[in-house]
Formats: sequence, structure tokens, C-alpha cells
Amino acid sequence: MYQQITLIGNLGRDPEMRYTPSGTAVTNFSVATSRSWTGQDGQRQDRTVWFRVAAWERLAETCNQYLTKGQRVLVVGEMEEPSTWTDREGNTRASLEVRARTVRFLNTRAEGEALAQAAGQGESYGGGASAEGSEPGGEDDIPF
Amino acid sequence: MYQQITLIGNLGRDPEMRYAPSGDPVTNFSVATSRGWTGEDGQRQEKTVWFRVTAWRRLAETCNQYLSKGRRVLVVGELEEPYVWTDESGTSRASLQVTARTVQFLSSRAESDEQSGGQPVYSDGESAPSPDAGSDVDVRF
Repeated sequence: MYQQITLIGNLGRDPEMRYTPSGTAVTNFSVATSRSWTGQDGQRQDRTVWFRVAAWERLAETCNQYLTKGQRVLVVGEMEEPSTWTDREGNTRASLEVRARTVRFLNTRAEGEALAQAAGQGESYGGGASAEGSEPGGEDDIPF
Repeated sequence: MYQQITLIGNLGRDPEMRYAPSGDPVTNFSVATSRGWTGEDGQRQEKTVWFRVTAWRRLAETCNQYLSKGRRVLVVGELEEPYVWTDESGTSRASLQVTARTVQFLSSRAESDEQSGGQPVYSDGESAPSPDAGSDVDVRF
């Protein structure tokens, strides 16, 4: 018994990294997945579903270092219990929470640099590799 | 941009079928997915995550006919916005909602004949809100 989510989408804002009391690194970022279709009435429709992704340990550091708002990622992971919170109007809201196992950065080198500069970070990196999480003693992969 | 969930688990109770205002049948059932592991401290741990699955039209009828509490299924579908509700103690809760594209019945023929007394079935589902051109229904187990 098992569950796995795969999603592709864009970051809504820059990732945020922090450390748990035990010193474990965790990076959170939100990803918007969108789907369009033509309804039975011929009207074009659109739906966006947001996911809040948590990456841990080495994957946290990689994501924090290389991800910025607007970048496209593929995430493979598992669903956690949704977290509930109250918005400013007092409504209860819930977020879809994903624990990432794999994160693949989908922008090209040029796109990534443009996004990073737009976000004020000015870092440069290459395109097309992936970062895996939770593997003991693995090599340090370049995450694109 | 896209998302897809795959889950395997057991039904927590019998499925419930009803009809949407459009007349389309819709069936809901809850699936428990569990994962066990050994923690760093050597202790065995377990986590169960529940999903509320919705199936539409022909898939709804198939699921309603052949699923029952305790049966094991594989579901492939997409996640919806979580469903928020208030429990008896006034606490806000949220449920994971999945719209099924495919449901595969994993309990064996013998188990299913005992439980449902009928032909076991595997079918591909059509989806709401984007109707496909009509999927074939395979009957096999």
C-alpha cells in the first residue's frame, strides 16, 4: 500500500529554507500546476492547483540554491496530510502538501539565468539534471 | 503543467453512488494507503494517509458494482483542492480528494467472488471535467 504524486509546474515564489530543531535542513516551495481543456459547451477552461512541496536534507540545499520564482520543476513525491490554516477573512483553507523524493529542474541554462537575475540572485547554472533526496552516501549530483 | 497521483490501498467502507444534477453517476470511496518503515532508532513506524476518490460515469457504475469495504485498489488520477470540513469537536479538518482516471481492482478473483458474488472488472475511466472520446471497457481479472 502506497501512494506517489508526480507534478510539473512553476514556482509561485522563491523557495524558503530553514532548519528543524534537530538541525535538519528543509526547503519549502509552492508549485502551480495548470490544466486547460475545452468544455462540452465549446468554452476553453483553465484550472490551477497549488502544491506546497517540502524537500529535506541534501535535496533541501540543492532546491534552495538553484530554484527561484517562476522556474518550472518536475516533482515526484508523496502526499502528506493536508494542512489547514485560517485566512484573513476567517475562512479555513487547506494546502496540498508533498514530500519530495525527486526534483528535476526543467528550465534551460539561459532561462534559469534570466529568472535568477529577475529575482535578484544572479546565479548561473546549467539545464536538465535532477536531484534525488534521501539517499545515503550518494555522489553529489549537479542538480540540472 | 500537470499532476498525477497513483495510489494503492484498501477501501475503508463500501462505495457510495449518487447522481449529479447533470444526471451523470458519481461514486465516492475512501482508500487508506499505508507505509511502514524502520526509524533511525530501530522502531517500526507506520503512516496511513486517506484519500477520498471520486469516479464518474461508466467508471462510477463499475466501481459501485464491484468495490466493497476492504477491497484493494490501484487508482490513478489527479488531485483536487482539499475538502475542508469541521469534525464533532469543532476542529477544522481537510481531506485529500482524487478524481480517478483509472481504477484497477487488485483483490483476487476468489476474494472478489466471495465478497461481491459477481464478475470482477477492470476499466479505464472517463474524466470530469474534460470528457474523453469514450474509453473502452475491458473486462478481465
